Amino acid sequence: MPRQSIAVVFAGSGGSGAMSAGAVFLRAAARAGYFGMMTQLFGAQVRGGESASLVQIGVMPVEAQPDRFDAFVALDWDKVEQFAAEIPLDEASLIIADPASGAVPPGIAKSKGRVVALPMTDASESKADRALLGRRVNMFAAGCMAALCGLPVGEIEGAVDAIFGGKGADVAAANKARALSGAQAAAALGLDLKLAPPTPDQRWLISGNQAVALGALRGGVRFVGCYPITPATDLVEWLAPHLLKLGGRLVLGEDELASINLVIGASYGGVPAMTVTSGPGFSLMVESLGLAIAAEIPLVLVDVMRAGPSTGIASKTEQSDLNLAIYGAHGDAPHVVLAPLSVGDCAATAEYAVYVAEALQVPVIVLSDQALGQATTVIDPVRDRPPPQPRKIDGVDAGKPFKRYATTGDAITPMPLPGTPNREWVAEGLTHNEAGLPASGAAMHAAQIHKRARKIREFDAGERWGEVTGEGDTAILAFGSTVGPAREAARRLTEAGHSVRVIALRLISPLPVRQLAQALSGARRVVVIEQNDSGQLYRHLLGHKAVPVEAESVARPGPQPFRPSEIVNYVA
Amino acid sequence: MTDTLANPTATTPSCVFDAKDFASGAHPVWCPGCGDFGVLAALERALAKYGRPPHEVVLVSGIGCSSRLPGYMSTYGFHGVHGRALAAATGLKLARPDLEVIAVGGDGDGYSIGGNHFIHACRRNPDLLYVVMDNRVYGMTKGQPSPTTEPDWDSDIAPGGIGLRPFNPLAVAIAAGANYVARGFSGDPNGLADLIVDGLKWPGFAFIEVLSPCITFRPEQRDWKKMVRPSNISIEQDRAAATALVLADDGFSLGVLYRGDRASIAAALKPEITMGDVEREFAP
Repeated sequence: MPRQSIAVVFAGSGGSGAMSAGAVFLRAAARAGYFGMMTQLFGAQVRGGESASLVQIGVMPVEAQPDRFDAFVALDWDKVEQFAAEIPLDEASLIIADPASGAVPPGIAKSKGRVVALPMTDASESKADRALLGRRVNMFAAGCMAALCGLPVGEIEGAVDAIFGGKGADVAAANKARALSGAQAAAALGLDLKLAPPTPDQRWLISGNQAVALGALRGGVRFVGCYPITPATDLVEWLAPHLLKLGGRLVLGEDELASINLVIGASYGGVPAMTVTSGPGFSLMVESLGLAIAAEIPLVLVDVMRAGPSTGIASKTEQSDLNLAIYGAHGDAPHVVLAPLSVGDCAATAEYAVYVAEALQVPVIVLSDQALGQATTVIDPVRDRPPPQPRKIDGVDAGKPFKRYATTGDAITPMPLPGTPNREWVAEGLTHNEAGLPASGAAMHAAQIHKRARKIREFDAGERWGEVTGEGDTAILAFGSTVGPAREAARRLTEAGHSVRVIALRLISPLPVRQLAQALSGARRVVVIEQNDSGQLYRHLLGHKAVPVEAESVARPGPQPFRPSEIVNYVA
Repeated sequence: MTDTLANPTATTPSCVFDAKDFASGAHPVWCPGCGDFGVLAALERALAKYGRPPHEVVLVSGIGCSSRLPGYMSTYGFHGVHGRALAAATGLKLARPDLEVIAVGGDGDGYSIGGNHFIHACRRNPDLLYVVMDNRVYGMTKGQPSPTTEPDWDSDIAPGGIGLRPFNPLAVAIAAGANYVARGFSGDPNGLADLIVDGLKWPGFAFIEVLSPCITFRPEQRDWKKMVRPSNISIEQDRAAATALVLADDGFSLGVLYRGDRASIAAALKPEITMGDVEREFAP
């Protein structure tokens, strides 16, 4: 019987091309009409460390990492022991390697998987050819695996062209030749890894970081200030050329302190603006997050979370910035924190973040994570478009001085654009009076604190607060990259006769207490799952009495993703 | 690729304004006799002379006595956090090149906590004016040595003096790429107003260091009025010569000390693709 899906690892030392192998394999599958997901596993080194691409393809959408891998393809064995423990293999797994690379190292061999010998270098090739064209073992391996899965040769070639076409015709041709050699070598292996027929449709091949960027562009972001930081950099690298061609600006700040202030300055000028960072950079930005809250200036701050604290693990995921995102700024500093529910939802959540920021004149933090951001998926095109909510810029009160921070009436007060006659106002980070001048009296301090709190208190996310799947007695609560495995676990649990629902939170703060109460109605057991050691979401929910005190916390640090089986085993 | 201007020119807006059109009427928190009053007067006079209406001007500042200035003017304003005024001003100017953006602040704000932003604003060369009111002391926190304080100035926090060589903002600005570097004196608001107009007109990042005494914590700075004198630099466009002079100078030469020919940051592109084009790229 043909398979519904297959999970493959391409691994090698950094620079061996493991990422490109996975990219070709995934893209060929996407072109053939399959869904899929690829995540990356690599060390801190730019070259010479360990690297692996973990790819799942299949006839159904993929939202979680697999429990185990069907095949482990070694491009070389040089560094593989450094992450062998992070790749689940078993006796049913195939270990595909070139015998010329040497013996299977113990960390992989202990899985007792079947070793398949696959010579990946072309013996007939002269030394000079090899030096000129490179061995391109990665392309050979990708072509071979793609053919084993039954992907058409034309789609393999198309994938190589799409990925290497920009590097010149000869580079693309050399890679294509090696991929085709790999495809031809597949038959001799005598393996049956054929996938069931796909359901071709218009699809997107997109990463979570790209989806956030797309959502921001859709929402009208035309100014970005940022500083390079893994794993957020590829978001802005993808965004930069598109933003420029759309008439926008990207400024590489001298640091994160500058980046967020560049953004605040641009937003004060009326241009929807965003900064993109990860934990260590976010820590630096917190100072001016408070400024944007106090001065009521909209902005979107994307945190692609990595393992912390301090510089932690730059290239690996964790969901441990929740406390920083919600509570980081000093003083009473109400703002909004959102988290995407999937790679595709990164687009809708980022777009929504822009609208909420503009409408409420507050910073909105988008808590993505490395597992979402650097996962490349094949998905249906994201058609979910939140309705735009523009900034309120008209000031009816033309009195002098203009009362930008009026404390009576609507908590959201007009924010005229500089350049508007007779509306001059000062954006002020100090406690200020209604006209924006510094004021230190108790009454005005309280009035302004209450004004800003009221904006957030009266904010209603409506249906966008989150998503509930299923109606079971056991409610699993999750956010970010944990939602995918939770949903997959729920599907399996339901199949096994358990009664489960998954509550995926998009609005992390202010906590949608009313909607959560409704979503939890009738639940007899509540399990809060998150990828940090201290139970940051759990405590946040408990603090707002949004879950019963009997709620269970499943909290463990990253960087290993939650696998569906882990959640199944806990809940069952 | 070069960032040199073909023909350094400047636009000259012209409307009729009076200095008082640029005053907000709010009463400054500054001590009587503070040099910053002179800088405020100079800015009001300069803007009246320059001719753009108050609503087209934005004053951006950080934290400190002098950073309170935007609240005292009738223009748009932005009073942010300590040291980051130039980053906010740069973001604003790039997003809204139609506005006249002026950043103001003190020596602690600009050279210490904001030192990195100062360097990179010079390097980035946005078309804005930066006026630093340098009194060589942290005044708002009541008298600590700043980066420009003399090494032997005695204070509670550094008894006997901080013992460090003062930061030379003009040399740093020239080295880092500022396109216009001048020194003014708060005791000569008319001369300072002329420098401000000149700086506003000059393309790129214009930096004016203003000697602005703090008579509360540095009463000896009352003598600055006897020490200042016009600069004898006549080779404004020679970067090396200007740097040498600025390094050799005692810090009291006034006037334009350097005038560069760097083009400011290029304007944003006109949109040439649509969101549809962007989305089509996701086809596998």
